[in-house]
Amino acid sequence: MLKINNLHVSIEGKQIIKGLSLSINKGEVHALMGPNGSGKSTLSYVLSGKEGYEIEEGTIEYNGKNLLDLEVDERANAGLFLAFQYPMEIPGVQTSFFLKTAINSKRKFLGMPEIDALEFAKLIKSQAEDLGIGSEMLKRDLNVNYSGGEKKKQEILQMSILKPDMAILDETDSGLDIDALRIVSEGVNKLRSEQNSFLVITHYQRLLNYIKPDFVHIIADGRIVKSGDFSLALELEEKGYEDISKTA
Amino acid sequence: MSTAVKLDMMPSKDISDYAEKVLLNNPFENFKIENYKYAQLHKSITSNVSLDEFKADLSSISSVKNIKLSDTSDIDLLSDLNKWNFNNADSYFRVNSILERSSKKIDLDLFREEIVCLDLSLFKENIHLLKASDSPKTLMINNSNLSEDCARSIILNLSENAKLNIIHYNISNSKSFLYFEINQQNNSNIKFLSFQSNNIHTRNEFFASLEENCSLDLYGLNIHNYGVNDNYSFIQHMKPSSQSREVFKSIVKSGAITNFQGKIYVDSIAQKTDGYQMSRSLILDNESKANNKPELEIYADDVKCSHGSTVSKLNQDQVYYFKSRGIDEEQAIKILQKAFLVETLEAIENTQIKEYSYSLLDSRL
Repeated sequence: MLKINNLHVSIEGKQIIKGLSLSINKGEVHALMGPNGSGKSTLSYVLSGKEGYEIEEGTIEYNGKNLLDLEVDERANAGLFLAFQYPMEIPGVQTSFFLKTAINSKRKFLGMPEIDALEFAKLIKSQAEDLGIGSEMLKRDLNVNYSGGEKKKQEILQMSILKPDMAILDETDSGLDIDALRIVSEGVNKLRSEQNSFLVITHYQRLLNYIKPDFVHIIADGRIVKSGDFSLALELEEKGYEDISKTA
Repeated sequence: MSTAVKLDMMPSKDISDYAEKVLLNNPFENFKIENYKYAQLHKSITSNVSLDEFKADLSSISSVKNIKLSDTSDIDLLSDLNKWNFNNADSYFRVNSILERSSKKIDLDLFREEIVCLDLSLFKENIHLLKASDSPKTLMINNSNLSEDCARSIILNLSENAKLNIIHYNISNSKSFLYFEINQQNNSNIKFLSFQSNNIHTRNEFFASLEENCSLDLYGLNIHNYGVNDNYSFIQHMKPSSQSREVFKSIVKSGAITNFQGKIYVDSIAQKTDGYQMSRSLILDNESKANNKPELEIYADDVKCSHGSTVSKLNQDQVYYFKSRGIDEEQAIKILQKAFLVETLEAIENTQIKEYSYSLLDSRL
């Protein structure tokens, strides 16, 4: 599904990703763990297509296509989703309006008619309830005056209704209390199937207790230094990044 | 030949001297009055852009009373010209329009319809409006159908406890210079929205004087592809416990210019005044310009007055966020523009007019 090969990325002349390779197949959940500044968020932005990142070398293939040829919105409509670490606040745009516009963009891409009001209301209600998002929150401006936890739930809500093939969760656990972490994880697990894949970026093993990964990768200084299964996350928690990177 | 018009020549000093200097010479080229700082009055705005062929189509709004000449009576504003209620401010357009044309009086309480429309293309005169009752009434002022340049004074007197909602549509391919004067007596209440788009050259002056316990909401919505759009406001709190709230929002592109200059003046006896002013502009390209100049002049010590002003480009991170959810860039930019302006439309109380204004805005994004 996603194949990153020998990726080199720089921002304003400074190299951040230095030869990263990673393959994610359909139905797999991969965790990417690493210390601050190792290039985790940069990788997520590059995958979603944010401007300002220079791809110096390497390829990214998504469902057989060259991902780097696609615009940000084209990548999203092709089934790629990034749950942001810091979701943008959008004053003046009601949350439910934003969700509806996003759904309709995807439907337009798929050649489907716009979603009717009743169907939309039903869809949002069922998904939002599971995440503990009340109807009052859907009327508020998108992410404006949301708490950290509410913002992350909102990201997962967007993911649940857009049903991406490939979802990247960028430190979705940061700023969450235990209850919110559980709710958000349940939201992710509900979407897990043989059809879609996840790249879960995190600092801590804690999240991975809830979202069990098939593979764990450790990133340091812009490249993956060690890969393994869930036990690697446990080992990491015990020894810390420095030790693991040394033994790599 | 041109003459600089100085502040000390303004009306309260010597009207005939002022008139001679202003009217006999073309004052615009060196027009150095601070309140006209950005107005660019000397410039004749010729543009190569295709003009907006907008005509206000109010047919979707039911039961509108269109004010006719027969609904008006004569009033002499000339004899009042020397009276000037506003401190350390001046209006060239007030003097000019009152000297140049006669004036008509309209009593808004005489109409039984809730919505009353004043189409400025139907009148050559200045307009003096009266509202004494507290019955809900919406006044639409339309200067979108003008076929020639227009410089007018529109004076509004609200009696005690009176209420009025005003929506001004200013979308014109003729030059339009309007002087609005709002005099509010105790406990009166006004919500005023000026909806401005694609004017060749327009200047609106809003002079308001508030007595005790009044409220004034003055909102400006600007979205322009061309032209000079200049707004000046002077909100004067003369008695205690009144509230004024100004929100002017502008979006400019393709070389359009938008200006907002506004002052809140609080008299020494006007304690417990609550004044708020916000002017925000969004510039969508490198050819367009926005000038915002907030001013406060406060002589009382127990007041709450705040102002804010921003000029910025579209937030690209917000556009990216939309795109990351599959929404294309063009649609994202439209939604973000609307989100920026939409707060001002909340000043409209009548739901039909509100809907009409929303669709008008949509057609301009």
